[in-house]
Amino acid sequence: MNSGADYNDKVIRLGIITTVAGLVANFIPAGYLAMIGVSPSLEDIVRILIVAATAFGVGWIVQPLSFYSLLGAGGSYIAWLCGNVADIRAPAATMAQKAADAEPGTKEGEIMTTIGIASSVFVSVTIITLFTFVGAHIVPILPKFVTKAFGYILPAVFGAVYVELAGKNLKVGLGTIILAVIISWGSKVVGIPGWLVTILIILAGIVVARIVYTLEKR
Amino acid sequence: MDLKTVMNSPAMWIASSIMIIVVIIQSILFFRMAVIEANHIGLERRRWLAGMRAAMVTAVGPSLSPVVILIALIAVLGAPTTWMRMNDIGAARTELAMSALAVKVYGVDMRSAAFDLKAFAYAVWGMAINNAGWMMVTLFLTHRMSNAEKTLSEKSDAAWVKLLMVGAMLGLFGFLWSGQLISGMDKVFAGAAAAVTMLAISHLFKSYPRLQELALGIAMLVGMFATAALF
Repeated sequence: MNSGADYNDKVIRLGIITTVAGLVANFIPAGYLAMIGVSPSLEDIVRILIVAATAFGVGWIVQPLSFYSLLGAGGSYIAWLCGNVADIRAPAATMAQKAADAEPGTKEGEIMTTIGIASSVFVSVTIITLFTFVGAHIVPILPKFVTKAFGYILPAVFGAVYVELAGKNLKVGLGTIILAVIISWGSKVVGIPGWLVTILIILAGIVVARIVYTLEKR
Repeated sequence: MDLKTVMNSPAMWIASSIMIIVVIIQSILFFRMAVIEANHIGLERRRWLAGMRAAMVTAVGPSLSPVVILIALIAVLGAPTTWMRMNDIGAARTELAMSALAVKVYGVDMRSAAFDLKAFAYAVWGMAINNAGWMMVTLFLTHRMSNAEKTLSEKSDAAWVKLLMVGAMLGLFGFLWSGQLISGMDKVFAGAAAAVTMLAISHLFKSYPRLQELALGIAMLVGMFATAALF
């Protein structure tokens, strides 16, 4: 039975084809504007590229790498095309595994992240499309209490996802969040850039896992 | 040609819809492939359906949260561009920041009277170039990561690889959460309230699988609204 290898190959093939399609689609509005005669000069396009790479280039590389262990290959291809990775895709993947009782790092776990992330796309596209058309009418009549609550969605999502993940190994969970807070706070004081903080804290998580592994093995 | 007519024109809607179509088709194809494989390895329909429902419920809240910035983006960039960019890679804040940076290259400001059709073209190019960065990296790195993962699990102790993955995930979400934990008592409270709710649902109500599917949705609502009420 080499269905494992087969499935992986199929995921990668589909991922490459759909990502290339996404890259083409990504430039169609810019192409249309150029067609009707409105476009930056080639020189300015290069300038924009430099500005973008300076501001976000590290994120282009660090983010797909850091989320890989959570998303898997299939989940990565979907998530880095449709976005909202930390606040929608990763929580959906975690919950899909939890509800299906599938463990991360297993074949079942990987299938469930793909199913969960794809399902979350159907929901988010529907909601965002709806709000593109009617949002201007609804948002002004929302109670202030509700718009204020929206401001707390990120800490709430991250806190809930964290304890869910920490359930896989309480010791690693506890150790990592303590180190994470110390590193985040220290970096803010010293002024270390965000992408480096991401790497440092992920490494801290791996080191804590290694320590727990070594201690439990003895 | 005038900015307002071009940025909300039918042609602009069509040009922007291609990305949405690609996003939806991609998810349908991956969904189908994963379900076929689930049946193949004996992951029961009951279980993957439960996972699917849980993921869909979880996605509702975070999809609603950018509505306020969405309205602001429509005012500056028009509805078609906003619709496309909110459904593809790049968070709302990133798209706004990148547009502003690109428009600066042209030499005007985003919300000024000088923001004309040409400035709009600069913003559209800016977002396209920036989003292409993530897609290119995904294109070149994902299969390499997949191979590296395979090699790692073949060569090392399986128990360690599993724990390594858990450590990396906890590190990632530890990074995301700790950034919130150091930025004010209200955010500490929101995260703690959601975390406690999540724990309570997972442990006290273990025997209600349907409730487990809603766990994150409920935890999120408790965290958000309790904080809005108390702070």
